[in-house]
Amino acid sequence: MAALEYINIKKCFGPVTVLPDISLTIPHGSFTVFVGPSGCGKSTLLRLTAGLEDVTAGVLKIDGEDVTDKQASARGIAMVFQSYALYPHMTLADNIGFALKMAGLPKAEIRRKVESAAEVLQLTPLLARKPGELSGGQRQRVAIGRAIVREPKVFLFDEPLSNLDAALRTQMRVELAQLHKRLGATMIYVTHDQVEAMTLADRIVVLNKGVIEQTGTPMELYTRPQTLFVAGFIGSPKMNLFSGKVAAAAGAHTFGVRPEHIDVSENGGEWRGEVRFVERLGSDTFLHVEVPEIGLIIVRMDGTSTYSGGSTIGLTPRAGFTHRFNEQGAAI
Amino acid sequence: MYDDGKLTTIFLFLPPALVLFTIFVIWPILNATNFSFYKWSGYGELTNFVGMQNFQRLANHSIFHQSIWNSVKLVLVSLLIQIPLALTMALLIYKKTSVNTAFRLIFFAPYILAEVATGLIWSFIFDGDYGVTAQITQALGIDPIYILADKNYAFLTIITVIIWKYFGYHMMIFIAALQAVPHDLLEAAEIDGASPWRIVWYVKIPLIAHAIKLSAFFAIVGALQVFDIIIPLTNGGPSNSTHSIVSYLYYFGLVQLNVGYGSAVGVVLFLLCIVTAFSYKRFAIDKGGEL
Repeated sequence: MAALEYINIKKCFGPVTVLPDISLTIPHGSFTVFVGPSGCGKSTLLRLTAGLEDVTAGVLKIDGEDVTDKQASARGIAMVFQSYALYPHMTLADNIGFALKMAGLPKAEIRRKVESAAEVLQLTPLLARKPGELSGGQRQRVAIGRAIVREPKVFLFDEPLSNLDAALRTQMRVELAQLHKRLGATMIYVTHDQVEAMTLADRIVVLNKGVIEQTGTPMELYTRPQTLFVAGFIGSPKMNLFSGKVAAAAGAHTFGVRPEHIDVSENGGEWRGEVRFVERLGSDTFLHVEVPEIGLIIVRMDGTSTYSGGSTIGLTPRAGFTHRFNEQGAAI
Repeated sequence: MYDDGKLTTIFLFLPPALVLFTIFVIWPILNATNFSFYKWSGYGELTNFVGMQNFQRLANHSIFHQSIWNSVKLVLVSLLIQIPLALTMALLIYKKTSVNTAFRLIFFAPYILAEVATGLIWSFIFDGDYGVTAQITQALGIDPIYILADKNYAFLTIITVIIWKYFGYHMMIFIAALQAVPHDLLEAAEIDGASPWRIVWYVKIPLIAHAIKLSAFFAIVGALQVFDIIIPLTNGGPSNSTHSIVSYLYYFGLVQLNVGYGSAVGVVLFLLCIVTAFSYKRFAIDKGGEL
């Protein structure tokens, strides 16, 4: 049985249709990431799941049960907000235990559950403090703790790492992945950051303008993007995409090749161009190569690459690693 | 040590404020304290020193006791009825919709009215001979009702008018505070299973506690200073039963040309205000954090 089923879900805000028709199944225990650019409807889909917004049409099932018209608290979900949404006047213990208090659990049981969640998240020494006295990372943990104690069927994360600095974000990403492994719970995670999506998810749902572009594992999306949008969105730096003669020669409207799937040679090569700019990241080097008949191509090289700006080099897309798309943007 | 810039700032900006504060606050207080030890009509030299007599007289004056009790009643009503009413209304209409905006305007409008105008309007409404009350009693064919002349109802009427006039002000303070409560917190509480009432109790009210404390402070100080609604409504009557401390001061001090006695009342009122303000700060604000 699927943990979540979205059946022809439609959501309109007044005259604006944000999600025209979403149908999606999310398996038990999966870590599913909704990813897409701002305004693609990913947060709306999450809020519909949480019960914070009403669906305009369609059915939402959690654990096989129709929850479309159920209140947020009755759906068996817990949500971690982008802003953490901690109650500033309550201690951490009260924050984490609030849902249990609302559910009318005995005080001793609340304390036991709160302490156990705090231990998992290394928050035990901080339980008597208030959120204002904590760092961003600690607040994030409290928000997760508040979700854990409810023992929900589904965890919902709304861009939970976007307020953290880069180093902390990486650390929290690892912690979240470990948490998912330990709890084995179904988690849905919304982000616009495709790196987060790739590293955390075992399934990614790419949304664009309210429509699901593609669903699959991170590597499926990376190696076999079904649409031009997914090809351009997943991967950093972006896939090189060209239309015109090169694409026509390959029998496509748009032709794509990832920066790491281009072989470089001093002489020869399918295309020849001039290195305009070199980005050195240490582990990788990105060459920005201007090819006269195509335009700018980005090539990923080893960090030890010695090419410099101004030199002319040959580029050859690696066979079997190219992508072709028709006029509608669908993979051929 | 202060550097030159700071010293210049102090010398430039402190004196005007200090001079104004001294002329309009400190000096009158000191003067009034001085007058309170004299029997003085307000004209001529201060010659008739009577020591503590004015204070003894007011301590034994039953009308003064009644006016203090009335002021206490006003404070209690402000805190126990006006503030909860304002909070309830604020919770009902704080969300930004056009209907709510209309209600906000309606409830806030009485606050904009001048106190004296308010008093005159309501005295017309309650007028048993020519006012709205008279029209109602005539229409119903019953005997005229003189609410403001009835000892049992006159002060109750004043209280009602004061609540009507000022609750909108407190409501607006609460609305501003409620609108600043992050929406995420309310949604988090909703997901946590809190009912609307519990969200109010556990999230909204604690988060606007600072505004409630501030409002309560204004309500207390305002209640102690009520004057210009009482004068046009009842002028302290019937039988001096509806005086507040300030209207008592006005009537027995200024109208009856006992400026010395009035000053003694003023000194008592001043001390009462100071004690109330500092106690409130000490017990309600300092204990519960910043205002």
